[in-house]
Amino acid sequence: MSWIWRGLRPILESVLAGLIGLGVGALIMWAWGYRPWPAYVALFKESFGSGYGLASALANATPLILTALTFAAGARAGLFIIGAEGMMYMGAMAAVALSLFQLPSGFHAFVALLCAAAAGILWGFIPAVLRAYRGVHEVISTIMFNWLSHFLSFYLVANVLVDPIRAEKTLSIVKTSRLPLLIRGTDLSLGIVVAAGLALLFYVFFWHTVAGYEVRAAGANPYAARYGGVSPQRTVLLVFALGGAAAGLAGAVEVMGRPPTYAVYSGLTNLSGFGFDGIGVAMIGRIHPLGIIPAAIFYGGLQAGARLMQMEAGVPFEMVRAVQGVIVLALALPELTRIFKVFFRSIQRKGART
Amino acid sequence: MAEFLLRAEGLTKVYPDGTVALSGVDLTVRPGEVLGLLGENGAGKTTLTKILSGLLPPTSGRLLSPRGQVRFHSPKDALKLGIGMVHQHFALVDTFTALENVALGLGRVNLSSLRKKLEKLVEETGLHVPLDVPVENLAVGERQRVEILKVLARDVEILILDEPTSVLTPVETAELFKFLRNLRDQGKAVIFITHKLKEALAVTDRIVVLRRGKVAGEVKTADTTAGELARLMIGVEIEPGHRPVELALEGEPKRAEAGGPKGEAVLAVKALKVRSDTGELAVRDLSFELYPGEILGIAGVEGNGQTELVEAICGLRRVEAGSVELLGRNVTNHPPTELYRLGLGHIPEDRWKYGVILSFTVAENSILGLQRERGFSAAGFLRAWAVRRHAARLVQEFSIQTAGLSAPVKSLSGGNQQKLIVGRELSKDPKVIIAAQPTRGLDIGAAQFIRDLLLRLREEGRAILLVSADLDEVLALSDRVAFMYEGTFTGVARPTELTAETIGLLMGGVKAGSG
Repeated sequence: MSWIWRGLRPILESVLAGLIGLGVGALIMWAWGYRPWPAYVALFKESFGSGYGLASALANATPLILTALTFAAGARAGLFIIGAEGMMYMGAMAAVALSLFQLPSGFHAFVALLCAAAAGILWGFIPAVLRAYRGVHEVISTIMFNWLSHFLSFYLVANVLVDPIRAEKTLSIVKTSRLPLLIRGTDLSLGIVVAAGLALLFYVFFWHTVAGYEVRAAGANPYAARYGGVSPQRTVLLVFALGGAAAGLAGAVEVMGRPPTYAVYSGLTNLSGFGFDGIGVAMIGRIHPLGIIPAAIFYGGLQAGARLMQMEAGVPFEMVRAVQGVIVLALALPELTRIFKVFFRSIQRKGART
Repeated sequence: MAEFLLRAEGLTKVYPDGTVALSGVDLTVRPGEVLGLLGENGAGKTTLTKILSGLLPPTSGRLLSPRGQVRFHSPKDALKLGIGMVHQHFALVDTFTALENVALGLGRVNLSSLRKKLEKLVEETGLHVPLDVPVENLAVGERQRVEILKVLARDVEILILDEPTSVLTPVETAELFKFLRNLRDQGKAVIFITHKLKEALAVTDRIVVLRRGKVAGEVKTADTTAGELARLMIGVEIEPGHRPVELALEGEPKRAEAGGPKGEAVLAVKALKVRSDTGELAVRDLSFELYPGEILGIAGVEGNGQTELVEAICGLRRVEAGSVELLGRNVTNHPPTELYRLGLGHIPEDRWKYGVILSFTVAENSILGLQRERGFSAAGFLRAWAVRRHAARLVQEFSIQTAGLSAPVKSLSGGNQQKLIVGRELSKDPKVIIAAQPTRGLDIGAAQFIRDLLLRLREEGRAILLVSADLDEVLALSDRVAFMYEGTFTGVARPTELTAETIGLLMGGVKAGSG
């Protein structure tokens, strides 16, 4: 019986947190003179009430699942990898660059995905090595690498991979390298299968392999892990590689599976934010690969429903964002409190060593 | 009518878990005197000083100042009466200067007038410390002076120092002593807590010896000897051959009385040097050998290098110099998993640090360190079934009380966590077992279980290194006992050859044959 309770508890906690979030959001709307009930009806009718809405929710969820996996992989090993954003840009750049080549249809997409994953891994390599062998805190280094990636991508979009006809975007992904749409007329592509599949792989890795066991051990108690023969350096490198691959894929699926342009816009406007949103999604999903999937779909649904909430219930966009922010925050709170404890412990540990 | 600054009458402290730390302690603190508080681990020294400095309320008993009874609700109340304490662990802001650290906590102060005051204090007491250098750039001894200045700046009459020399070099210690005598000559009172006999004899005027929460004796330093202090510290209950721990074994175990180590040494430590976290030399040139079928006990007050020694042997701490040989092979600075493959089992001192992963399940913890063994992994995957079977066997064999194999280990009691660790280590079939504080914090039943087990393992011909702060335990279980003091052994002997006096002397740092 107790094991059932242990499994259910996080889910119940999340449901409760979500209800509290909805309640507080309703209070905010009510306080400013909007009617909460129709607003929520519009929100959820749009996102989960129709086939089209659900498809957009899933399409929105696709890159978020992947960037959330990056954060979750780090967090399971006791690391705070904030670098999914930068790794994701690199993945997108790699995917676009692969369209400069000619390969058979399908195989082309496969190679592009592989290269994007490799680009993500490469982008995490320096912070990983700095962390593993020099103790440079990954929060600092990955944030710095986000900016490096940001401006490098800016340059690539505007100068190297630029579409000669339309300078506001890169070359479009060639047809042979596009991810097929699952439902015609929607944005939902095969990317969701890639993302969910990777989440499943992550789950198997973390809970059913020896290396995954060691990573979790290092995250839960680094001393005991070392005592158990786990190399801290290897753990850091491994987790950064896993996270880099996931984030690289996030950038790739977003450009390879997003009609109509299949390209990156200058200013990275159609990419920016997925990496950071992924952190929130990972928290909502309790940094568990299988929890991340529903969390990302919910998050994607909130984005999809925002438009109708605005149009049908007359709630201004800023208010929609505020209410959604409250809901997300409430949902993330249970994991957030846990993770902050770990985070501050890791800082104190480092302080004590010097 | 003796003049006094503070008097404690009938102090008793019972902790919420039922531990009686102090029972009926009387103590008088007089001006112009260095008062030594001597005792081994768990004697109640720290509890007593916490009560005197207002950190803890006593369960019963009272404190008297010359103006009548006082009651402390916090260290602030004690400070108002002129009682200040310097703790073993410093509480300084590393990036602040000494001056700023002293100013901190004084409320609104004028830094330049505080500087004048400190300069005068430094002059009077000889407590030289650079006032304008960030504390992080100061040596440990200097940091301690800043701590002392912090207390003195509040115009205290009674200065309490908790094991102040444990972090100091001999030169720094000598300077500290000089300063303490200075302070005494100015009419202040100093309470000096220590477990080191030599220091107690060197710096104090009067010594109160605590043993198991009671005053075992009070002597004038000038009239006493190390031997007398040792006797008081250890007590008279331990007579030669006495076995204080009742061993509930079927049939008395045969001790290695036939004499002499049997066979080749399975663990040989040679001229080992290991540093502590703070960079001090914690193990200094230590050598010993461990033979199959014996329990070698290491006794001594905690913090004399036992932790570092064990960690170094088990591959968890870097060996600075010297060597560790396991079953004839040099394994100095080899990784832990390699050591256990060779035949080393380690029951770590800090269960929650090295022993278990609290958030992991019983099953997951049961293979920590074994996860790469063929039985538990196949092509990189964990064989969940084999892991559960292994855990189930440990649970049964060591009668571990748990809600199930999937219960997180943090839901187990300390005794059951320890049984799980011990079971796991024994499932490695070790030839050499390092047991560090194996019964600490366990209830009587669990502790007895572990002790019986250690004796059984010894009967099986395994070699056991037992490190324990529980003197009774070491004396009862060991074939040979080594006494550790400041990183070296002061002596090695059979328990039956030891008297209370020699034990006290050895634990207090007087080398065998030199006192």
